[in-house]
Amino acid sequence: MKAQIELYSNLLRELEMDIGTRDLTELFLEALALSIKNLKVNSPEAFLEQFRGLYEVVSNTEPKFGILNYQFARLANYSQDVVCKDKKCVKKWKHMVIKRLEQMIREERDKKVNIVKNAEKIEVDGKTILIHDHSHTVQDALVHYKNMGKKFKVIIAEQNFNKTHDNIERMHDAGIPFQVIPSYMLSHVHDQIDMVFFGAVTLKSTMNFVMSPGTHGIISEFHVIDVPVYMFIDTAKFSLWKSKKKVGVFMHKHERTHYNKPITYERIKYSHDRVPHKLFKKIVTNEGVFTPVALKKLFDEKMKKYSFEK
Amino acid sequence: MLTYITFGIFILAFVLIVFEVFDKSLIALSGALLMVLLNVLTPEEAIEAIEFETILLLLGMMVLVNISAKSGIFEWLNVKIAALTKGNPLAIFLLFSFVTALFSAFLDNVTTVILIVPLTIVLVKGMGKDPKPYIFGEIIFSNIGGALTLIGDPPNIIIGGATGYNFLDFLMNLWMPILGSMIFTALVFVLVYWKKLRPISDNLSELCVANVIIKKLRYKFLNTVLHKDFIITVLSILVLTLTGFVLQGVLGIPTYVIAFAAAVLLAILTTRRVKVHESFESVEWTTLFFFSGLFIMVAGVEQTGILEQLSHFVAGTTTNIFYLALIVLWVSGLASMILDNIPFVTVMIPVIMGIQTQLGPEAAVLWWALSLGACLGGNGTLIGASANVVSADLAKKSGVRISFLEYMKFSLPLTLGVLVICSAYLFLKINVL
Repeated sequence: MKAQIELYSNLLRELEMDIGTRDLTELFLEALALSIKNLKVNSPEAFLEQFRGLYEVVSNTEPKFGILNYQFARLANYSQDVVCKDKKCVKKWKHMVIKRLEQMIREERDKKVNIVKNAEKIEVDGKTILIHDHSHTVQDALVHYKNMGKKFKVIIAEQNFNKTHDNIERMHDAGIPFQVIPSYMLSHVHDQIDMVFFGAVTLKSTMNFVMSPGTHGIISEFHVIDVPVYMFIDTAKFSLWKSKKKVGVFMHKHERTHYNKPITYERIKYSHDRVPHKLFKKIVTNEGVFTPVALKKLFDEKMKKYSFEK
Repeated sequence: MLTYITFGIFILAFVLIVFEVFDKSLIALSGALLMVLLNVLTPEEAIEAIEFETILLLLGMMVLVNISAKSGIFEWLNVKIAALTKGNPLAIFLLFSFVTALFSAFLDNVTTVILIVPLTIVLVKGMGKDPKPYIFGEIIFSNIGGALTLIGDPPNIIIGGATGYNFLDFLMNLWMPILGSMIFTALVFVLVYWKKLRPISDNLSELCVANVIIKKLRYKFLNTVLHKDFIITVLSILVLTLTGFVLQGVLGIPTYVIAFAAAVLLAILTTRRVKVHESFESVEWTTLFFFSGLFIMVAGVEQTGILEQLSHFVAGTTTNIFYLALIVLWVSGLASMILDNIPFVTVMIPVIMGIQTQLGPEAAVLWWALSLGACLGGNGTLIGASANVVSADLAKKSGVRISFLEYMKFSLPLTLGVLVICSAYLFLKINVL
């Protein structure tokens, strides 16, 4: 079990960095549907045993992926409800579970639509927007504004090569005017930037967003100079369990050598940043647009209702 | 005296190549230069000794493969194959191994493993499984597949250049032992590594992780923009080239002309997509210089008459063609396990030519024995063929260390088994077929 948890933790962490949490969820649910289709079991009980095993693994990954836990909890309830005793009905039953998964995938896609729809409440006409992480939700919102005929400009704060290029490709493909500036040179364009958009992996019970590395610095920087910072997040990404401080941020130490001198040194990288929700002006979700105070209320209500604490 | 000096230069160069003291192209060129400076060969004789047919065939194929790879068609195919396996370890092993063999028959083995091994490691390692059996399989199948065609492995290109055998000749004479070796190898792998290759369709957790990785690969590779016109052009030229190779006997056009024409045509048709100077830069010039130097050195050794004496000696040991074929097969097979098979085959060319002159056309089977021994013997050790070394390097880069002994423990008995299959084939070919 421990090895499986580590395997899933690494895999999901890498995927989240590559394609973002939202696409990761959709990809995972599609893979799960395919796996259930190819799974050879003799009875629904045997399947439930396998499913519980997988649920146990996914709900114990580090970091925890709130949205996956949420979807697994829903599927677990459904699987138990529809379980049948007859061995012959396994095929039909598997089909029903897959159908349910397909419905969940469709819901995921609909949620994207809702976030984008709620993003319309943020006025961007004539503004210059800074983006940094490669949140596909933020990208979708920007493309939506463009399709609505809004006139705005994007500045991409340069960071990890792949993430920056992902942003560049998306802006280019949508025909959104953009410029790229290294993250550490943003102070030179403070007066040009009207608003800052970000996405997040999850929201912890500590009311900290878990976000791409480097975001805390930028958000603090713009908070200090009173430029509004907006968060775009699906409420299914909330981590509905009591979080411990610093859990979910991974440190990677490695040795590097100076490019032309025989000097080796230790280099440290971190997987995520944790950013207090208070630093954001508004949080745009599939359930509406919230102030930090209102978001805390929403989170607490959800925590009471759906807590996955085991 | 000159004979000893020539032989000394050759042996020294051979040792330096085996122990990779310098880049092998540099060693071969230095040896060739010394032979010219010491008047073993005149500059004109040295130039004549270079088999430009072989050099041009290699050059043409390198450019052709390089441009084709840039279309993304091979990665696309690999990802599609990964999806076909549905995460089943046995299916991953078998499909990727057979695809490796197929690619290797038409591309060079190193290009093939560069295209396939990294993807396999990502897939299998990501599933939490040991990727070594899969890498071993791809190494071994790349060398087996490469032995099937005239263009699949450098020893065959050299043999084809020296004998005039065409693409179809290689295919017709080698398909049987190659197919037998592939089936035998796959069976041995499945038996030895059953625990690591067994299906996982009864384990949801393992199935799910496999499918997530396959989806990730699809997402990553298939999100790269593939240009339809580029792919169609590449596929059309590849099909045309293969048709040209197959019909070479009827067309009467040499293989190197077909390969070269295909490379030039593809470069012209894809000018918009591929910068031609980048394709020419990616040609493995060191390999071509290595071949050139080697041809000159062997010509120098040939001048001394040593190789003729060797062929007389070998032919004198027996007049039984089967025994001779066995000697060629096993000596070249065992030698290729530790030596670079290219210089070995280059040296063996005049020896077998000599034997054939003495024993007549029946001795033609010795060429197939040489091809099988040189190409398949390379599987015996981790340094036996370029594809083995490159695969081990690729694995190391991905954090998978393959030791010499670890590989040999499995590959040596397997290779000996494959050589036994080839021996049986040679017996059938001489006595029955």
